[in-house]
Amino acid sequence: MSAEDARTPGPNPNPDARDGRPAATLELKDLLKHYPGADAPAVDRLSLTVPAGEICVFVGPSGCGKTTAMRMVNRMIDRDGGEILLDGRDVNERDPAELRREIGYVIQQIGLFPHRTIAENIGTVPSLLGWPKRQIADRTAELLELVGLGPEFASRYPVQLSGGQRQRVGVARALAADPPLLLMDEPFGAIDPITRDRLQNEFLRLQTSLGRTIVFVTHDIDEAIKMGDRIAVLRTGGHLAQYATPAELLLDPADDFVERFVGSDRALKRLALGRARDLQLLSFVRVHDNDPSDWVRSQLAAADHPVPFPLVVDADDRPVAWLDEHDLARERVRASDGSEVAIVDEDAVLRDAFSTILQHRVRYAVVVDPRGKALGVLSADRIADVLLPGDEQEATAPVHEETR
Amino acid sequence: MSVSALVPPLAQGDFFTDRSAGAGNSCVAGDGLCPKWMVDNFDQYTGPLVRHAELTIVAVAIGFVIAFALALIAERRRWLVGPVTQFSAILYTIPTLAAFFLLLPITGRGFVTAQVALVAYTLLILFRGVRTGLDGVPPETVDAARGVGLTEQQLMWQVKLPLALPQIIAALRVASSTTVGLATLAFFAGAGGLGGKIYDDLTFKSNVVLASLLCVLLAVVLEIALVLVQRALTPWTRAVNA
Repeated sequence: MSAEDARTPGPNPNPDARDGRPAATLELKDLLKHYPGADAPAVDRLSLTVPAGEICVFVGPSGCGKTTAMRMVNRMIDRDGGEILLDGRDVNERDPAELRREIGYVIQQIGLFPHRTIAENIGTVPSLLGWPKRQIADRTAELLELVGLGPEFASRYPVQLSGGQRQRVGVARALAADPPLLLMDEPFGAIDPITRDRLQNEFLRLQTSLGRTIVFVTHDIDEAIKMGDRIAVLRTGGHLAQYATPAELLLDPADDFVERFVGSDRALKRLALGRARDLQLLSFVRVHDNDPSDWVRSQLAAADHPVPFPLVVDADDRPVAWLDEHDLARERVRASDGSEVAIVDEDAVLRDAFSTILQHRVRYAVVVDPRGKALGVLSADRIADVLLPGDEQEATAPVHEETR
Repeated sequence: MSVSALVPPLAQGDFFTDRSAGAGNSCVAGDGLCPKWMVDNFDQYTGPLVRHAELTIVAVAIGFVIAFALALIAERRRWLVGPVTQFSAILYTIPTLAAFFLLLPITGRGFVTAQVALVAYTLLILFRGVRTGLDGVPPETVDAARGVGLTEQQLMWQVKLPLALPQIIAALRVASSTTVGLATLAFFAGAGGLGGKIYDDLTFKSNVVLASLLCVLLAVVLEIALVLVQRALTPWTRAVNA
């Protein structure tokens, strides 16, 4: 097998744009914006580097200059000083329109073109770049699928879509030409909380395979912690208060402002950094409906299981019910006698896993893979351990490595 | 068929009446509403009708070009919107007949004089229509368009104008209906049109009604044509939740 074959598995309608465009490194140096007539600068000597392939979140209260800083990167706002280097080259050396075609742009209000179909909206940048029609059509179809919209959406108009669907299209439009850098200004801010959560998860999953460099602006610290590989906390007047990974930010806030901004529950927020699959899961006794009760008892006794209850699973190994001593009174166990199982997806953040356990008024949750197969058991104690000092390595550090 | 139907009536120095085709008919003699006379004499009206359509279409077209250009210029130079609106509003208030007589020494009698006045009346409606359309483009759409890399020119022609189209066509519809009405006065400037026929014989109901019906017909046809153009160019305005 040649190297060529190994490199291109499956159909790839746009090999040039893909292979030729690794994620970019973004450097801001002493970035300054001072609006005429304003007392203080909107962005004051902001310096930071976003490594290629990472999500950097600009977060801060309103008026902290986070959006202004972001909009200077694609020259939607002219800077008053400093440098912005995209892969080492200053953006001011570039023609603004040409530069922007290489930088994905997603805004809270979405800004789809109402007079163009969804397919035309997604194909905006490729057509500006003069791609052949066939290639644009292929890429549009691929992106629709990527953001979870069916091919039937291609010929619809934006007015026919819900807010969540529109923002999926907004993201697809930004990704169309596979830009080395994406700018996202509160992209999920105007969407209802449930849809927002889903879009955030989907976007993180996308980013795992795309590995784009992303500047993400939000005022919501929880969103910042969830989305960011790195977080730049800005304070009013455009000062950088702290630039750190989410774990560092929560464990070691640089000053009172950051500490107040991340909130008094910052210890709990660390639960948002870990995922169920990152923890060592407990083993358990796996039984099936109709197994002899004596056999189940012997299994419980034989192995030294940390979970004192047997779990009934179905033929596909999916959890059905917990059994306790009472339920073993019959000759054979019945799943219908058992109690409900708290089920946690292996990708769930620990905060959500903990919440699921508490809602079920139990101490254990069964962690399942995407097919619903039981992988192991997570205990409330185990999650609480994560919050204890000295144990954060396991809970935090590996997580964001893996989302990449 | 009289050749006089094609000659501007004022040029002959007097109002001109031609009822020869219906002579002897009591309905015609009594100035009544005579369908048969209308049918028999319809060909007298086709010339003025065509002339009337020309007066209207040319005036709206020229007015649109001027108003459109001004509206585009005002996109970059916002301060122009006020003065242009005020100036075209003043033009709009000048009585038509006064305008014709004021223009006589400059442009003389005929088509040009009528056009200058008719075009002037369309400016206010058309300029405001184009501006309303452009101002109604959602700011987030403009921001996103710039943000993904459209140049200012692409933004104007590919995003702003298509989105302004419903307002622009609405203004064209108002302007063309208004101009069909105003063009009935064009014969005072020696430019002909259906107005000439009406004033030929104001007392003869058949004449007045037929000429007026043709005016209405012309306005309706122009209106339908513009609606069809709008439907063809703005399919997204009819998209509803599936």
